[in-house]
Amino acid sequence: MPFDDSVESLRAEHEALMQFLYLAPVGLVQAGIDGEIVMINPISAQLLMPLSPDGCLTNLFTALEGVAPGLRQECARYPQPNGMVFEGQHIHLRAEERRGVPQILSFTLLKLDAARIMAVIQDVTAEVRRERQLRQSDAWLNAILTRISDYALAAIDRAGRLCDWNDSIARVTGFGEHVVGSPYSIFYPPDAMTGEHLLDRLREADANGWSMDEGLRLRADGSQFWCSALIAPLPDREAFGDDPNAPAYCLILRDISDKRAATEKRRQAAFCDHLTSLANRRAFFEAAELELDRAAHTPRALALIVFDADHFKHVNDRYGHPAGDRVLCDLANILRDTFRAVDTVARLGGEEFAVLLPSTGIEQALAGAERLRLAVSTRLVAADGAEIAYTVSAGVAVLDGASAAGGGIDLLIKRADEALYQAKAQGRNRVAHWTPELSHHADTPQRSRNAG
Amino acid sequence: MTSATPTFDARGLADILDASSPEQLDALDFGVIGLDADAKVQRYNAFESQAAGLSPQRVIGEPLFTNVAPCLNNFMVAQRFEDAAVDASELDDTIDYVLTLRMRPIKVKLRLLASADSATRYVLVQRR
Repeated sequence: MPFDDSVESLRAEHEALMQFLYLAPVGLVQAGIDGEIVMINPISAQLLMPLSPDGCLTNLFTALEGVAPGLRQECARYPQPNGMVFEGQHIHLRAEERRGVPQILSFTLLKLDAARIMAVIQDVTAEVRRERQLRQSDAWLNAILTRISDYALAAIDRAGRLCDWNDSIARVTGFGEHVVGSPYSIFYPPDAMTGEHLLDRLREADANGWSMDEGLRLRADGSQFWCSALIAPLPDREAFGDDPNAPAYCLILRDISDKRAATEKRRQAAFCDHLTSLANRRAFFEAAELELDRAAHTPRALALIVFDADHFKHVNDRYGHPAGDRVLCDLANILRDTFRAVDTVARLGGEEFAVLLPSTGIEQALAGAERLRLAVSTRLVAADGAEIAYTVSAGVAVLDGASAAGGGIDLLIKRADEALYQAKAQGRNRVAHWTPELSHHADTPQRSRNAG
Repeated sequence: MTSATPTFDARGLADILDASSPEQLDALDFGVIGLDADAKVQRYNAFESQAAGLSPQRVIGEPLFTNVAPCLNNFMVAQRFEDAAVDASELDDTIDYVLTLRMRPIKVKLRLLASADSATRYVLVQRR
């Protein structure tokens, strides 16, 4: 074969290979162990550019820092000389109203050797949606098919009040006949149900044919049990005409305490932050989506508090990352103790936490944030012989009925962020709430994760 | 066309490019990708071809955002063209971006040009 031909065919082959990589419908990245990008294909740039805090694609970990903090550390901590560091890990992006904008990325990271890594990045938003629907159907089948040792069956009216009483209610919950006429929330711990949620679940049962939840429920003697609760509309309720006290739904309570461990473990893996065991970004955004849907249907206030540990970078620099982690865990514990079971307490990233409070107005939210701030300011965290004092700043924002539908969770987060920035600017260790003036200051910067 | 070679940030660049021959586009020192209303590539100059390592034959007639440069298929670029088309509004914006030319991240300035009067829309690429 003449020399020119072989060069020409090599060139054509090279171009074909290049186009193959340009067009591959998954993101592929090769980087150094520190994340410095060596090679990267277009889909990666498509997915990463909108996330990149510095507008560069120089470093893979930096590009993902805003949505997946700690990748760098976890990669560095990976003990094997080579192997899969993450496999299909879901990274949740800020919820966007626009259709077609990715919300969930799947992230796979392969360590090739001490110096090199490769990553695969995919937009799996649609896939996860479908899975979520399937999961709900699974839960429903599970509820029907699982061997039932005992259950309580009650009829409730269209306002959620118990219409009658029977032996099964007494057996499972210990409540007597006097509960007739009470809302079914008597079976819930006081901080695990709001008046609006009580009605939301009835409406969801109407819309989907059923509504199910799982969690701690209350017996008459105050003891708690792990329970799966199913609400389904009664098929023949029209027969009762307009009588508001007529049975409209059936409520089934099943004591599934023995299955709690397995359920919790599954939930932990998917919905919990690995360091603090608080809700992770995924759980937070799912909860937010649900609450906004509910608020759009039946207007009510929804509050968001964002907390940020003050000068956290100094804590890490001075005492080391393990001590920093202890501070974060301490903060997580106080958050859990301060807020209600119905609130979603989440770690959004780094030293950034958020609490979503359904059916909560500004006064109540500010009081909660202030309680938390005060509690933190009295704490000392023991780490390696040192005692670390720390403080938090908080930003509070509320969507009331009218504004809840419009801007979605992004707007709520933006406002809480603006309030948080205000709290930081005023000297930290304080709580600020959003006012329209804050948004008019065009200079309010996008919060940097390490602003401390 | 007797005027001097236009620069990346020249005013009225879309009109100049519309009137340029392929040879004139090839003489430019920045990348030119011209799109029709369906976002299919109609013009592709030598600078861009060289930078991306793709010959014009592989690219002309292909939809840009799915088959040629999927890295631009997000709200920062593709969405801007869609929005401009829907609103029938003028688009002339220059943004900092990172392209993956020959699988290497290359910092560039992108100038996005679209107008209701012109059939051809442009993505212009200059290295920073």
